[in-house]
Amino acid sequence: MRLLVLLWSLGPLLWQLRTSLLRPEALLAPLLEGNPWTLANYRLVLSGDPPFWRYLGNSTLVALATTVLTLLLAVPCAYGLQQQRGLLRWGVGLGLVAAAMVPTVLLFLALLEIARRFDLANDLFALSLPYAGLSLPLAVLLLRAAFGDLPAELEDAARLEGLGLGQRLRHVLLPLMGPALASTGILVFLASWNEYAIALTWISRNDLLTLPIAIARIGGGSVFTIPYGAFAAATVMGSLPLLLLVLLAQRPIVSGLTRGAVKG
Amino acid sequence: MKARTASLLLMAPALLLLAAVFLYPLLLYGWLSFQASSVLTGLEPVPNGGANWGRLLDDARFWTDAFQTLRFAVCSVALELVGGLGLALLLHRPLRGRGTLRALTLLPWALPTTVMALGWRWILNDPHGPLNAAIRFLGGSSYGFLSTPATTWFFVVLADVWKTLPFVGLLLLAGLQTIPEDLEEALRLEGAGRLQILRRLTLPLLVPYLALAVLFRLAQALGVFDLIQVLSGGGPAGSTESLALYAYLNAMRFLDFGYAATVMLATFLLLLVLVGGSWWLWRRGDLQGRREGAA
Amino acid sequence: MSASGDAGLELRRLGREVGGRRLLDGLDLTVAPGECLALLGPSGCGKSTTLRLVAGLDPASTGQVLLDGGDLTPLSPGERQVAMVFQSYALYPHLSVEGNLELGLKVRGVAAAERQRRLGAVLELLQLAELRQRRPAQLSGGQRQRVALARALLRQPRIMLLDEPMSNLDAQLREELRPELRRLVCGREQPVIYVTHDQQEAVGMADRIALLDGGRMQQVGSPRELYADPANRFVAAFLGRPAINLLAVAPGRQLGLRPEHLHLAEEGPVEARLLRREWWGHQQLLWLDSPWGPVRVLCGPEQPLPAEPRLGWQRQHELWFDPLSGARLHGQGPV
Repeated sequence: MRLLVLLWSLGPLLWQLRTSLLRPEALLAPLLEGNPWTLANYRLVLSGDPPFWRYLGNSTLVALATTVLTLLLAVPCAYGLQQQRGLLRWGVGLGLVAAAMVPTVLLFLALLEIARRFDLANDLFALSLPYAGLSLPLAVLLLRAAFGDLPAELEDAARLEGLGLGQRLRHVLLPLMGPALASTGILVFLASWNEYAIALTWISRNDLLTLPIAIARIGGGSVFTIPYGAFAAATVMGSLPLLLLVLLAQRPIVSGLTRGAVKG
Repeated sequence: MKARTASLLLMAPALLLLAAVFLYPLLLYGWLSFQASSVLTGLEPVPNGGANWGRLLDDARFWTDAFQTLRFAVCSVALELVGGLGLALLLHRPLRGRGTLRALTLLPWALPTTVMALGWRWILNDPHGPLNAAIRFLGGSSYGFLSTPATTWFFVVLADVWKTLPFVGLLLLAGLQTIPEDLEEALRLEGAGRLQILRRLTLPLLVPYLALAVLFRLAQALGVFDLIQVLSGGGPAGSTESLALYAYLNAMRFLDFGYAATVMLATFLLLLVLVGGSWWLWRRGDLQGRREGAA
Repeated sequence: MSASGDAGLELRRLGREVGGRRLLDGLDLTVAPGECLALLGPSGCGKSTTLRLVAGLDPASTGQVLLDGGDLTPLSPGERQVAMVFQSYALYPHLSVEGNLELGLKVRGVAAAERQRRLGAVLELLQLAELRQRRPAQLSGGQRQRVALARALLRQPRIMLLDEPMSNLDAQLREELRPELRRLVCGREQPVIYVTHDQQEAVGMADRIALLDGGRMQQVGSPRELYADPANRFVAAFLGRPAINLLAVAPGRQLGLRPEHLHLAEEGPVEARLLRREWWGHQQLLWLDSPWGPVRVLCGPEQPLPAEPRLGWQRQHELWFDPLSGARLHGQGPV
């Protein structure tokens, strides 16, 4: 049973890997003498113009900026929300859940308008603004749950010692929120990397494309002209950073999602 | 009180950004849907009353897309639920290497949709893709998976399920972990078989998580875009075109912004009705069950 | 500016209402400098609420908190120079003992040398020197309590508050630590309020006891006063173990007699029938039935029991109450 699950999950990925390592001829005629394996596909993709790892860099840049911005906004918001009582708390909470469910692609037209109005197109840092906005609902909900998990008397003790709000956050609350911050940050990072529609409309310069867009553009060409081996190589390389991230950070990711589910 | 205003101030920046990202679009679409703004008007908005909405009601393509999107969403979510539940049950039992298994099953979800959509395109390629190669190996003849509506649609659903199943599985796993073990043991002592425990204990207690998963995924699935644009391009012949894609085309290709806004607002409304309706139905059933249980 | 008569802590008509519920109803209380006052009462009586109001952690709906004549009510918790030992100790889990103690001083900009000096003194006082680098998770309950206490004392506060500081410890430890705690906390210059639900602890720790119920003060006075001269039935029933016997003597009159004040004899005003006895080693508790209702009597372990026992007591130990209101009635005649 476990094997089946693994096969299902990893099958397509492994196949991409295999394809990327094959010579073009080997792709078309599976039974070939000689060594079908090659790294030429990778070399092809990496030597493109702009080089492929440029796209990886762009995506990473945006993802990092988004994560930082989201956390900067979400932490005070979650703390403030946690302090509220009654109608406001419930109302904002419900609003956040509703916002979290909205498919982000439906917002692209309005966001495009904003990009045009404020001249934010083709700017990777500016892209992190809508990304942060899109990640905020989930981030605030997760962090609010985490704040709620902290013992209430801890903050009382700090208040009595004369610690102001900023000091309480810095010395007492945030250090204890480490795991929650990490898992929320990772989830935001992943979501930002994954995003397609907004980046599609905001970025048009070739060298500023994020990875999903670059890949889609490559795929936009005709099946017969693009060497599929190179294709697969691009796919593999596009997947690698996130794969590594997930493998390394699976525990915080899972715990973050779990907590969100339980409290949600 | 000082504390109250302080905490409101803390929330302000985030709420501001949220309003810009979520509220502004709704307002803009509402206004834009009553304008004509296209190449014909020189891309300047000109009020045209409810003309866009009238057009929407008569637009066969819109309704076909709506139906297709809905069909996609329902099938995809149903499969994800079943598969996710299976995955969750599997991961719930103490197995060796459970952590790594969990991480590995999470991988599909972590990848960008477009990256894997491309991968799927190759896998289904006619005649060179591995799937066709396997078919030929088994003696059949290669098949153009992406050139027939039925199979294209099938693989679109499959690709979506492949990607989001781990997420649903994790969600349900979280729910499973909240069920106290003693309850399960008590039932087992009474001689209940595994299936019975599942039916009588696990599933009822899991309902809130199932509901959460359904609502979330339903909403997301109704907005499917990335997958379709890269995998099938909406083809063949628009058979897999989703509402989101249609809206996108209206805006970016036909440059008809007024109508695009109308389509998107209509999609929003559809989403609201479906998700809101499901939620309301669930709450009502839930409350009724509680009332009966208490009585 | 305050006259010497204003010295100490004064709670004036202090009250708190949340969501229509009155948690504390117009409390008037004074605590002299150096005095240790116990706030005693069942759960929900308002004692923890009072503590939080004095600390400034919750805002008061009515009334004021005055210290040495100055009004603390508008001040934030940090400004009041109040220290509190929490029931859960509220130690910062991510900091060592040293870090826990230092934080308040560090944040206030006290120089490192001065911090170390004060730290050293308080660590010495509470015998925590060896535990300096440990984290709270690595400490026992009693050790954690000492750290919480150290943190409070370190601030040289003007008011000392303790919220059931011993309730997380087992009974034996509680008894051992009680004199130690009293020595460290009470008898200094500040007024001390000690909240507990355990009457033995209150009696052992405090100079005076304020008994609360339902947000209202029932009586305040020395343990002896509350015991011998309770203001109402609630006070009489709360203090003293085993609890006082309440006998329905006549309509409109309820007689309270403590088990330790009753004895069995051949002759006496009231007849009784023995139901059961509990042997406690140094004492016996006898359960009897009488025409006035069930009665419990505390007597010596070897007490001989007459065949047809009759209850006897001294008149001075009689406590009369109104059966409906529980109010104390005075000047009631002999039975």
